[in-house]
Amino acid sequence: MSQEAPPRAGGSPWQGSGLLEQIAERALDDDYYVFRGSQPRPSWRTGLLVGLVVTIFAMLVTTAAVQTRNDRPATELERQTLAADIEARQKTLDERRAAAAALSAQVQALQQSAGADTRPPAELGVLASSAAVEGPGIVITTANSQDGLEAGRITDRDLQVLVNGLWYAGAEAVAVNDNRVGTLTSIRTAGDAITINYRSIGPPYSVVALGEPESLQTRFGQNPAGAYWEDRRKRSGVEFAVTPSLEVTLPAVPDQRLDLKHASTLEEDR
Amino acid sequence: MIPVIGLLAGLGLGLWLQPTVPLWLQPYLPIAIVAALDAVVGALRALGEKRFNDRVFVISFVSNVIIASAMVFVGDQLGVGSQLSTGVIVVLGIRIFANAAAIRRRIFHA
Repeated sequence: MSQEAPPRAGGSPWQGSGLLEQIAERALDDDYYVFRGSQPRPSWRTGLLVGLVVTIFAMLVTTAAVQTRNDRPATELERQTLAADIEARQKTLDERRAAAAALSAQVQALQQSAGADTRPPAELGVLASSAAVEGPGIVITTANSQDGLEAGRITDRDLQVLVNGLWYAGAEAVAVNDNRVGTLTSIRTAGDAITINYRSIGPPYSVVALGEPESLQTRFGQNPAGAYWEDRRKRSGVEFAVTPSLEVTLPAVPDQRLDLKHASTLEEDR
Repeated sequence: MIPVIGLLAGLGLGLWLQPTVPLWLQPYLPIAIVAALDAVVGALRALGEKRFNDRVFVISFVSNVIIASAMVFVGDQLGVGSQLSTGVIVVLGIRIFANAAAIRRRIFHA
């Protein structure tokens, strides 16, 4: 079989070296070869049929073309909208990332400034009540009522209210009968006496608060603790006197009341 | 003469009516057109080789369109999706090219 001659219908189906080649070689429908020679003269009917088929073909092509053309603006618009959307979202993302970075830097700076307590140790000693202090303050002297009634007795609760009221009024340090009130100090009734820092004390009680005398006195008088003590004085006749003093001295809390039991230093380099 | 009139009529009708293809028909239309194109190019080649037979043309046109659409449908049903359509396009494309080359050879003797 020569190269030019198209393959015949009767030829071996595996003539070509590959499937694609075979398809290319037999591109023309075999029927055209089969019908050769025996073809009748074209009649009106078959000619019309060919015309009809060509009409259908042309219509199919134009319809598809028109359809694709009409759809294009919509798809194009969709694509552009999507692209713009993506761009906007990416911009937002970038902005958020920048904001997050700025905020985390801010947080870090704040943490650093908060973590480093720059106050001198002496001042911290005052707040932790581990150092003896002196300065202006007020002295409150109080004792059981003269009549000796049970209601006129000063209880641990009275003293607790008094000490808390003084803290609330802005006292920097408080001591009861020369016993400094620290972070672990308790004021409790034990038997007949009241104990503070596990030391028994008895009336009269002298409560010393360090702070600006005038404002301490005013603010104590205005807060609930002051009202409570005013009530106690009027109803039960307990003795209660406030004396401002320019020079009060308060001892440190005993060492055994300052022991750290559970806390340990946070290992963190700041 | 009749085919030329038919071609113009089809173009005119398509442009004038601008029919909308129903949604269920849309996947079949492009493949059907490629199959029809194959039949038309084949017919042109046969015409050039003086082998044209209108019966063969009509039957090959209709059967091409039907088979191509059927393959798209079967591909959809089998879940191979557009891959079967790709096969159809490849085969028909090669046939169109080969037929066009034959026509070119006949016209330009090259």
